[in-house]
Amino acid sequence: MRAHAKLVNVHRGLPAPSALCALALFALLAAAVTGCTDRGEPVLREPDPVGGPTLLRRLTQSQYRATVADIFGTDVPVVARFERGLRSHGLIAVGTGEAGISAFSIEQYDAAAQGVADAILGEEQRAEFVPCQPRSTTAFDTECAGAFMGQYGPLLFRRPLTNEQTQRYLEAARLGTEKLGGFYEGLKYALVGMMTSPQFLLRIERAQPDPQRPELLQLDPYSKAARLSYFLTDSTPDRELLRAAGAGELDSADSLARQVDRLLASPRFEGALRAFFGDMLEFDLFDDLAKDSEIYPAFNSDVAADAKEQTLRDIVHHLVEQNGDYRDLFTLDQTFMTRPLGIIYRQPVPARHDWERVQLSHDGSRLGIQSHVSFLALHAHPGRSSPTLRGKAIRNVFLCQEVPDPPANVDFSVVQDPSNTYMPTARDRLGAHNTEPACSGCHKVMDPVGLALENYDGLGHFRARENDAVIDSSGFLDGTAYEDAAGLAAALRNHPETSRCVVEKIYRFAVGRDTVWDERAYMDYLIAAFAESGYRVPELMRAIALSDNFMAISPPDQTPVGQGLAHNQSDGRNPS
Amino acid sequence: MRNAREKNPLAGGLLAILLLGAAGPGGAEAPFVRNGEAGFVVSFIEYGLSGDAQETGACPAGMTRNLPEIYAMTPQGKRREGESDEAYMDRLREAAGRLGTSPDGRDLCMHPEAGEPDPWFRTVEGSDMPVYGIDLDGEVSDNDFPGMSGGTGIDNQWYRVVGCSRSYQPAGQSNGFNIAMLTGSWGILVRLRGVDDIRNDDHVEVGLYANADPISLSPARKPLGYATYAAEPDPRFHATTTGRIEEGVLTTVPVDAMFRNEVNSMYLDRPLRDARLHMTLSENGLMEGYLAGYTPVEDMYNMQYGYRNGMTHAGELAPLGLRSGSANGAAFVLGHTCHGAYHALQQHADGHPDPDSGKYTAISTQYHIRAIPAFIVAGAGISPNPAQPTREEAGR
Repeated sequence: MRAHAKLVNVHRGLPAPSALCALALFALLAAAVTGCTDRGEPVLREPDPVGGPTLLRRLTQSQYRATVADIFGTDVPVVARFERGLRSHGLIAVGTGEAGISAFSIEQYDAAAQGVADAILGEEQRAEFVPCQPRSTTAFDTECAGAFMGQYGPLLFRRPLTNEQTQRYLEAARLGTEKLGGFYEGLKYALVGMMTSPQFLLRIERAQPDPQRPELLQLDPYSKAARLSYFLTDSTPDRELLRAAGAGELDSADSLARQVDRLLASPRFEGALRAFFGDMLEFDLFDDLAKDSEIYPAFNSDVAADAKEQTLRDIVHHLVEQNGDYRDLFTLDQTFMTRPLGIIYRQPVPARHDWERVQLSHDGSRLGIQSHVSFLALHAHPGRSSPTLRGKAIRNVFLCQEVPDPPANVDFSVVQDPSNTYMPTARDRLGAHNTEPACSGCHKVMDPVGLALENYDGLGHFRARENDAVIDSSGFLDGTAYEDAAGLAAALRNHPETSRCVVEKIYRFAVGRDTVWDERAYMDYLIAAFAESGYRVPELMRAIALSDNFMAISPPDQTPVGQGLAHNQSDGRNPS
Repeated sequence: MRNAREKNPLAGGLLAILLLGAAGPGGAEAPFVRNGEAGFVVSFIEYGLSGDAQETGACPAGMTRNLPEIYAMTPQGKRREGESDEAYMDRLREAAGRLGTSPDGRDLCMHPEAGEPDPWFRTVEGSDMPVYGIDLDGEVSDNDFPGMSGGTGIDNQWYRVVGCSRSYQPAGQSNGFNIAMLTGSWGILVRLRGVDDIRNDDHVEVGLYANADPISLSPARKPLGYATYAAEPDPRFHATTTGRIEEGVLTTVPVDAMFRNEVNSMYLDRPLRDARLHMTLSENGLMEGYLAGYTPVEDMYNMQYGYRNGMTHAGELAPLGLRSGSANGAAFVLGHTCHGAYHALQQHADGHPDPDSGKYTAISTQYHIRAIPAFIVAGAGISPNPAQPTREEAGR
């Protein structure tokens, strides 16, 4: 039976340890457990916060769309082509704090804002969105325009507008009314200005002194609200969260917990999970995914969209609806499927147009999200599979292990010829390729993992043979040997880095930056808490959201940078 | 091996999985066979006929003509001096309208029996040119043809009727109804049950169904294997029989079957009496051969020429203008006369004699088909599982 630990914040009291507690503590991770409750339960104590810099984080496409939907309604269209996100430290969420905004993006943001403004201030819809009737539709009405700004300004900027901001956009509305000949045209002009301003497009974090830790800063209340909301809903703070921020309630542990629990219970929480896992699984690459239609005739845009949705559905279903163990994602034997996907999985899908919950394979050979089309097709070539790409992706995506890019002068001719009858399987071809010393080091790390998925072609169809030769899908993962993809699934599930990796990535996703060396104790704390919860992701996200580290800001001259963290460098398994 | 599911083979396990391929001799199940079941969707279909008449010499008296062409051969139908193209065409159309109407004013496409046999509706008179198909009656008669790949006694009187029609030549339009199938307007499903060995099995259960779903195609419009299809819920479109597999060739006991057809948004039945399969199964699950039997001549006329009983999507008789216009338009474009076709069908019918008159009521028909693995489900695509959010509901 697992020792039941209780998570407490270090600043909320340290109970006296008992003898039983001491034994339990010994059994848990020493770095994370430093106390017990008064009932003798071991306590996972959050290490002192380290803090990071305040960030300017650009809204992702999903955040932009969700924000507009939450402010104006789901039927308001967002018509724009968003610029590709920058992936940094494995996540676009981190890249949002590093990438600039191009002129193309500004044009697209402007187009999107124009579309939103037209939708909500058009003749038929304006009564729903404008809380007042202007004195005239052809003249400027300061009071009515001010009411409109007051209603939507704080939602758009995620904090109350300053007087200067209010005056600026009122003046824009006035000018627009004069130049464009109508009150609502003026409002559109001002709204487009607000939606193309940095205050809307960027999450601008601001810090304030932390009275409990003079050596650190903390996010100001509205920055806390935004960080919480985008972490737990992938969308803008709602009115209740902004109210709580304005009332100073987010500085109170109990009030903060109420808000966090409210957001976790919200239907919008699913959006956060989808955003994180879509980012972690690199689903942005689907935008460029192409398959040779002669080789993979079942592939089309519907299949690509369904493949992404299948994996995200499974994740949400397992982690939220089933409250499942994160590690079991790698051994799931059921999935959601549509008929187009059923063609690839060769599984019957009774529902004609809907999603159907079915067995992942008819013989139990296919297990886990790493055996989904979304993973197998994404990490393969347009016309053939790739044990190397798949092995590398498993290392990078699920284990947080970096594998360097190949050197520039490598001869790929052998591995790029899948019709080679002398080397009929990918294992044969890679064996020949790996005789080159410059290649063998990394391939030893990637190939035994990826070769376990060789029973799936470049799209994800099962195949027993390649070029009439039986495929050998045996391999090993960091000391664990297996015979096939099902064995890999179990090895991946039970790999200690699997859970550690997702903890680190979720935290990176939450704070928008890489973790640093000084945060290793905090990471260990989260990892221990994650294990203690039975590897429940929502509980992990709750622990992060309630932790002091999440809101802590380091003074500008003490921001630790460029140190990279922690468990990658300490476990000795990093293939790089 | 006999299977216990006899009453309603589709109703039983909702998921009637059809797959092809079966176990190799004494080996494991072929990948397209699961639990002894193999499903297929017909991926290609055409009438099994013969080569081009110009090459086979099947029509020494010439090809069938349509009404304007017939009129144009009369002295009155010759083009007059100085007559413009437009005026001449109008005159031909007007004459065709008259020739296509019975003396009592009835449209001969809607009432072909009111017309006389058309001497310009040419049919294949000889029986020595090889044709596609199989022997349906086990006999070799004067009207039978030699087989395209050898053999004799091929029953294919439908070829005799249409072999001299230009639209039924290999490049003609009338034998292109495979395209209509690929657009999703109708389809055919085949299910095998009790398959122990795809090479040799002395007893398998066979189901023939109309497909309730459009066929799944690749971006290049090639049918995709292993798609899921619902069988038409209407039991009229279910036919079950038995068969055997010998050296990889599936043959089945004749059974009356019914499929669907669609012309100009009109829905028609495609019946096939004494339908039987003669198909070669391959290890990878492809199946090719013949679906053959006897088509009632009245239904064949309706399907291919007259559309007299064409129905709307709502199940009502289609407007007369649509039925008549489609039939007359087809006769003009495809090069035949409705009454000529009708009488030719009656003349060459060779199956199912009327018990009272002894007159044959059906005509031997050979469909050349290919089929690929598929999953067949009952219930018209309704899931047995709890409802899941739709694509739209899943989006944010």
